[in-house]
Amino acid sequence: MRIFLFAAETALKSVWHEKWINLLTVLSISIGLLIISAFVTITQNLDSVLKRWSKDFGLVVYLKDGLTSGEESTLRDYFMHDTDVISVKYVSREQAFEELRQTMGEQSSVLEGFESNPLPPSFELTLKSELLTPSNVERKASEIQHLNGVDEVQYGEKWLSSLSTLANIMKVVAVFLGGAIYIAIAFITYSTIKIFFYRRKDEIETLKLLGATRTFIRLPFILEGLFIGVLAGVVSSLGLFGTYSLLLNKISAFLPSISIVMVPLPLRAYIPAPLAGALMSFLGSFVAVGTIRY
Amino acid sequence: MIQFAGVSKSYDTDVVLKDITFTIDKGEFAYITGPSGVGKTTLLKLVYCAERPDEGAIVVAGWDLKKIKQGTIPYLRRNVGIVFQDFRLLPNKTVFDNVALALRIHDMHPQEIKEHVGEVLKEVRLKHKENILPQHLSGGEQQRVVIARAMVSKPTVFLADEPTGNLDVETSRTIMNLFRQINTRGTTVLIATHSEALYHGTGRRVLFLRDAQIEKEIVG
Ligand SMILES: Nc1ncnc2c1ncn2[C@@H]1O[C@H](COP(=O)(O)OP(=O)(O)OP(=O)(O)O)[C@@H](O)[C@H]1O
Ligand SMILES: [Mg+2]
Repeated sequence: MRIFLFAAETALKSVWHEKWINLLTVLSISIGLLIISAFVTITQNLDSVLKRWSKDFGLVVYLKDGLTSGEESTLRDYFMHDTDVISVKYVSREQAFEELRQTMGEQSSVLEGFESNPLPPSFELTLKSELLTPSNVERKASEIQHLNGVDEVQYGEKWLSSLSTLANIMKVVAVFLGGAIYIAIAFITYSTIKIFFYRRKDEIETLKLLGATRTFIRLPFILEGLFIGVLAGVVSSLGLFGTYSLLLNKISAFLPSISIVMVPLPLRAYIPAPLAGALMSFLGSFVAVGTIRY
Repeated sequence: MIQFAGVSKSYDTDVVLKDITFTIDKGEFAYITGPSGVGKTTLLKLVYCAERPDEGAIVVAGWDLKKIKQGTIPYLRRNVGIVFQDFRLLPNKTVFDNVALALRIHDMHPQEIKEHVGEVLKEVRLKHKENILPQHLSGGEQQRVVIARAMVSKPTVFLADEPTGNLDVETSRTIMNLFRQINTRGTTVLIATHSEALYHGTGRRVLFLRDAQIEKEIVG
């Protein structure tokens, strides 16, 4: 325990003593971590957009003209019993017309020209959130399409699938890029600690002759690597928080509704990414110190 | 406490020690002497495992150095206090911290370290310079810091390589008195020197090294 405290003290002194080289190392690592966090954040936001829009749109099942109320309630019962569907909302012709008028607002006078209501009645279905992937929604839609009395099934196929593909691509890129950056972090710390180690070769030789154990000699270097990593993690988290808040502010000035879609920064970006960075940094310094031979 | 049996050591083709055999008992106070470059430092290095013999067996404080494991060497060295000929003080640490380092390595409590270091610094008359960096000390003062560091952990074996090389007659005498004190506590002391003045009239064993061998052994 005392060895640990003494090593921590030595490491902190060295962090301060070699502040320029350490600053450079910390900044390099933070930039790496920031890139990872940015990717995580963007992916997270895409996911959120995907979820939210899927929920809003759901499936809209337009009914054929002239169905009897019996036929309509058969369909309703069918949907109610479908375990994939969590809510069913019937929109009558009149309701659809009313909704359209409200949506159009001032331009609604255009609608007065219609003699009869051109809109079909429909069912608005919400699917279980687990099913909200493009292929699932598509499968469900075609299943419903074949039911008696169904005219057309609409769902946001285009945006859903392209957004989902984008999100998936981002995830793959994030994993590969993240992996590469984490390895780079280990290398950055490795070389910095190696430099310190060589600089203090004489001192290490003396420590060995005085009877210092390997742990006693190595611990300060390993801890210094860890401190560098943690410091870089803190810097990158602060950077991320600053950038994100600023961005959110700027964007929502143009586009107020963005704040509904944009998620607050996920904990995943704040804690584990820097933590993993610190771990890689620790690993780098651990390897840099190597084995001590007497 | 220190046993050499048929020990030889060469650097490349340069034979420094050849078939050296001697024993220094527990609690003994002995000298090793000889001209410059004869191999005194090398012999001491063999004792604390900084060099390995090409041939022969060495036993120090019960450890057979032929069989000693890498991980055990630190524990051997903690039992050996060394006054290095080239001092080996850490330039970026104060006098106090340099001496304290020997005890921190032993994982001693900071309060105890403070007391022990204060004590030895008084003994070598450097208490008033404890917060100074080594480079601001005179050669003799640096030497006394090294001696303080070697004695502070109360080792069972005490090795001093040319410990009075930079000291005047008066200070040398004080230092030699210190060594005698260490010895009366039961520590085995081996001093390497080329200065006859150091052993003359002490009545202690003196081993003479010449041409890679122990040429003779006298009583000083
Ligand atoms: N690491 C080494 N590599 C090669 N030769 C060495 C090495 N160390 C010592 N020597 C040689 O071994 C011989 C003995 O050196 P050593 O330092 O033991 O002498 P010494 O008796 O301590 O001399 P001095 O009284 O000047 O301190 C010298 O000739 C030296 O050049
Ligand atoms: Mg020498």
